[in-house]
Amino acid sequence: MSYNYIELITLILLAIGCFFILSGSLGLIKLPDVFSRIHAAGLIDTLGSGFIVLALIIYSGFSLLSLKLLLIPIFLIFTSPVTGHAIALFAHESGHKPKGKNKK
Amino acid sequence: MAKPNKDSLKTLSFITYFIILFVFWFILSGYLKTLLLFFGVISVLFVFWMSYRAKALEEDSLPLKIILRLPFYWIWLFKQIFKSGVTTTALIWNGKYSPQLITVKASQKNRTGIANYANAITLTPGTVTIEVDKKIFLVHALSKKLSEDLQTDDMNKVITDLDK
Repeated sequence: MSYNYIELITLILLAIGCFFILSGSLGLIKLPDVFSRIHAAGLIDTLGSGFIVLALIIYSGFSLLSLKLLLIPIFLIFTSPVTGHAIALFAHESGHKPKGKNKK
Repeated sequence: MAKPNKDSLKTLSFITYFIILFVFWFILSGYLKTLLLFFGVISVLFVFWMSYRAKALEEDSLPLKIILRLPFYWIWLFKQIFKSGVTTTALIWNGKYSPQLITVKASQKNRTGIANYANAITLTPGTVTIEVDKKIFLVHALSKKLSEDLQTDDMNKVITDLDK
């Protein structure tokens, strides 16, 4: 019975993670300019992958494997802001102006 | 107890770095045989030597003081990420975004703190640090609410306190 309980939690967390990834992908298409689209990519990086890895940790139980899984979000936490910042800085330097008050 | 001078602090941070590297090696490999553990120590020493040679082990880049506070800070950061992530998701779905540029002042003293703050801003969905000019950040925010959250200076204070 407790096995099913764990599966249920895993399922819910996976669904939440998938929802955030879907929202991020939608934002990547829908938002107006480069800078806004970076926000959507950041959403996928942090919350999407975070919830999915959390679900996998709960599913696999506590072992060496779950520690390895825990390393994935830790490295994402250090690397994803750097890539986001690099894209934003390059877009800024090459003269892209963020779209201002003119919301759709 | 003797007053901790600069050298002993440096040694302590070296030892901490060594332990972190070895734990990392162990998590990735999972071997417990003596011979393989010995090889692990050798590879850790090699990485240690390389980072020493690359001057990555100066006291600014290896702040020993904050290591104990780091888990609490991460829990706090996860909360922030979740909150602004939900806001950003809502903005994407209902389309009421109004992107804007703001400037934010950082009050951290060393380079690690400033990098930490800039990364934390980028890491929370909805705000991206575009440019770092000494202690003033140019930040792009997805909506007015998100930029106002940043301008309340909470995150700045927490990260400054991390290094006290």
